Amino acid sequence: MSCVIPLIYKEFTEDFFSSRGAAVYLVGCGILSVFSLLLVSNTELSLLDNAQAVYMMGAIIIGLALLIAVILGSDGFAGERDRETLEIMLITPVRPVDIAMAKLAGIFFSWLIVFALSIPYLWAVGSTGQNLWPAFIYLFIAGSFLVLIFGGFMLGLSARMKTFKGALSIGLTLFLLSAGPIIIGPSLRQSTIGRFIDRLNPFGGALNMIDSVVVDSQNIFFQLPHLAVLILYTVAMFWFLYAMTRRVEL
Amino acid sequence: MAVCVLLLPVVCPAADSGSVHVTIQPPAGTFKMGDKPVFKGTVTNTGSNACQGLVVYLSLVSLKAGREHPVDLEDWSAQKAVRINRLAPGETNRQDWSMRLIGSGRFGIALTVVDSNENRPIVSNLVRFDVQQKATISSARILPVAAGEPLLLIVIFMLFQWRRRSRRA
Repeated sequence: MSCVIPLIYKEFTEDFFSSRGAAVYLVGCGILSVFSLLLVSNTELSLLDNAQAVYMMGAIIIGLALLIAVILGSDGFAGERDRETLEIMLITPVRPVDIAMAKLAGIFFSWLIVFALSIPYLWAVGSTGQNLWPAFIYLFIAGSFLVLIFGGFMLGLSARMKTFKGALSIGLTLFLLSAGPIIIGPSLRQSTIGRFIDRLNPFGGALNMIDSVVVDSQNIFFQLPHLAVLILYTVAMFWFLYAMTRRVEL
Repeated sequence: MAVCVLLLPVVCPAADSGSVHVTIQPPAGTFKMGDKPVFKGTVTNTGSNACQGLVVYLSLVSLKAGREHPVDLEDWSAQKAVRINRLAPGETNRQDWSMRLIGSGRFGIALTVVDSNENRPIVSNLVRFDVQQKATISSARILPVAAGEPLLLIVIFMLFQWRRRSRRA
């Protein structure tokens, strides 16, 4: 465990203090700023009530965080392999599973940064409306679960993939598959097949949970099915990550 | 021999000046910004001759005291004019006029029918209604955050980079 903490620190400094990390968070802020400006300048969007605006902003924040998680997860082992630094990591007395946990902690820290950066935007669009504090809480919970699920799954995949590009292409495909039902709109998701897919899709479930809390003001008992799905996926992710990183090859 | 040409005015068999009756009814309930109410319009031929080619259109005005002005219906996504091909004597044509309430305040709405055989358009009564303000997004909060946060982030990262270079030096 004492070797894992320096690894976590290394991941954090690489992701936040480097130019690449700074650029990623700056682009994220830029996207949130553009959406915020659209909310005030577009006639249709400016009529949204605060709860609806907070929900839309929350969906964008989670989408951004998942993209970052997919990129960092894909880079976890496959990127080190491309940069020829994986061998150096594997000859240390740290187990590959512990390396994976440290990288997962780094991915989680990136989510904490994204969440911290998004708080002013959420306050700006939702401060005069309803359910702002529940929005913060459920967005943090949903985002944490989703980032761990997607980031951890991509880490496990990158442990077995030869190149970062290959891992990233699979990760982006999975991200689009998860986001696809949400993009096609609520009316198609109301069909039997749409509802079934929504129940299985962790991203869809998380957004439904935020919608139910922020817009419909429903209490925690309505969120239990969504939370159960997220917990199940998280457990499955940890099992998958452990199985993929028990033995890592160069 | 002088030919006297007497120009007689062409007189169309005009409907009676009161041959078309037009009304508009608001939906029940109160209105607030963002709502999409549907106003019910009716055009009735009360004359003895059929009317053809009637054009019916909606007019909306803002009745804010001291700042009365016509409202551009395009912004309110309201339906454009409707043409009634033929209206038999005693027949009533009904229309649904939906619009999205994108402003708050006091408004007046009226339905106007233009009959090419009449000298004056026929206008319904003015229906007054109030649209309540809704808590929407405040630009005073969003603009500083949207502009300020990326700038703040840039400054923080530049400070970090400068400190790291100073330490290395």
